[in-house]
Amino acid sequence: MKRSCGLALISSTLALCAAAPVSASAAQPGDPPDGISKIETVVVIFAENRAFDNLYGHFPGAEGIDKASPESLQQRDRDGSVLSELPPVWDGLTAKGVTPPVTQAMTEHLPNAPFTVNDAKGFNVPLNVITHDLWHRYYQNQMQINGGKNDMFVAWGDSGAMPMSNWDTSKGDMWAVAQKYVLADHFFMGGFGGSFFNHQWLICACAPYYADADKNPAKPSIAVTDASGTALKVADNSPKSARDGIPKFVSDGNLTPDFYAVNTMQPPYQPSGNDPAPGGDPRLADPGKPTTLPPQTEPTIGDMLSLKHVSWAWYSGAWQYTLEHGNHTPIPNFQYHHQPFNYYANFAPGTEARHEHLRDAGLGGVSFIQAIDDGVLPQVSFYKPQGNLNEHSGYADIQAGDHHIADVVAHLEKSPQWPHMLVVVTYDENGGIWDHVAPPKGDRWGPGTRIPAIIISPFAKHGYVDHTPYDTTSILRFITERFELPVLHGIVVRDKAVAAHGEPPLGDLTGGLDLN
Amino acid sequence: MDADRIVALVTAGGIELTDRRRNASNDGWSLSFANGATVEVGDDGSARIGGKGAKAVARLLDPPAAPRNA
Repeated sequence: MKRSCGLALISSTLALCAAAPVSASAAQPGDPPDGISKIETVVVIFAENRAFDNLYGHFPGAEGIDKASPESLQQRDRDGSVLSELPPVWDGLTAKGVTPPVTQAMTEHLPNAPFTVNDAKGFNVPLNVITHDLWHRYYQNQMQINGGKNDMFVAWGDSGAMPMSNWDTSKGDMWAVAQKYVLADHFFMGGFGGSFFNHQWLICACAPYYADADKNPAKPSIAVTDASGTALKVADNSPKSARDGIPKFVSDGNLTPDFYAVNTMQPPYQPSGNDPAPGGDPRLADPGKPTTLPPQTEPTIGDMLSLKHVSWAWYSGAWQYTLEHGNHTPIPNFQYHHQPFNYYANFAPGTEARHEHLRDAGLGGVSFIQAIDDGVLPQVSFYKPQGNLNEHSGYADIQAGDHHIADVVAHLEKSPQWPHMLVVVTYDENGGIWDHVAPPKGDRWGPGTRIPAIIISPFAKHGYVDHTPYDTTSILRFITERFELPVLHGIVVRDKAVAAHGEPPLGDLTGGLDLN
Repeated sequence: MDADRIVALVTAGGIELTDRRRNASNDGWSLSFANGATVEVGDDGSARIGGKGAKAVARLLDPPAAPRNA
């Protein structure tokens, strides 16, 4: 992997740069990839909660379910034995209110194997139906991955057979986009667990921190782990078998024992799930609530872009609507913890940075689409679809998000900025859903389970499946190299950890591009 | 309805549990969810729903069918 080193913050990186001989005629280690400056506009679209095999498990040329070993297709019980059958989907496969429902009883006695939800010979649930959500949490994700065997997704989930579900999306809009451009089939979520944590990894490559958590109301949210430090301590009254019920833990909290926030906490600023303190600043969330995360101060990719005077914005669907009218379900179902910059002091209410960079994408993304059509996107844009369009299990279906994101891509293809554009469509995390490929061994925080990623650009290798190993921080790698930014510390740590495990380096997305 | 049952129904609807603790009077559980809803669950089976996301949580719980203190 190549790496910009012009302004690297890390002393070891600086030393490497200084030691490298300089040649005007040949690329050197550390140089940005040739031709990378042809990309002038970067757009990142961040959908929700789908594993690679869940949507693209049968994509031609990709490492999908068809290529999985028989062992990797089987789930094990909590004692390590192979399950004779999958447990039922507790409380049913379809979301509350769906008619006709797929009840728990209808999911009894499924074979111990993946199953396709919209299989006409099976449950025959179409892509526009909302289904049961699944645990997608930091420690459970590591327990489910089980050292890369991926055979404990059912055992350490809360939804019975549901982790083994997948969909035939071959008629979907984004499938066609993936066929036209590049599907990355070894792209992994940057951090273990859920949306809160993986949005942090998208912008910061870091774990948020809650100082002195043991001395304030957040104390009961500190997780209790076993001796490994990577798994929760199982409670004495936990069902012994996955067939008998959902596991119980001594403390399944949001904070690690050393106070890093790894599961969902609320932003300290509105819009937040937590109201302002009584009589307090209405722009803030009540800091006395145990789920309010204190403002964060780690550098983000936004800070790095601003440092180099590169224009950028986080476009959030229904942001202004929620600020003005409050949230509503099922539409827009704004998600507070999907707005990562809203956790950072540098983007606090009243700051110029917030006004400039945290933008309303409008209801249904209309303002973002208008910016696309007008050709006025900043050099780097992140787009977060509103809740009902993000494909998250439990409250959103796949089809609505698939249509919406494909529509956004269609607008991007027609934008005046398209000739020099790179678009990455990916998911924040796997949503608790099984995938058969072992994640690269990295650092304490990830990478986690494999997720879909589609690389779209006039410079994309059209009709290509890119097998390069990537994770969410690969997006940051590309942005860092393209705009010659200081390297975020978490990326340096991740790269060293991956190398120490003898894993191939994580790429910078240029494996899917032809820039020459 | 006990706390485990409420957590199971709400999280199945895509609303993540963000905090669970015994209440100050030690006669029930205080639950917080990612959409801002809170549920006070008594050991006697009573439930009171509040916070920003109360309506969405109430729809997932049956009974109670509607927020009581939203």
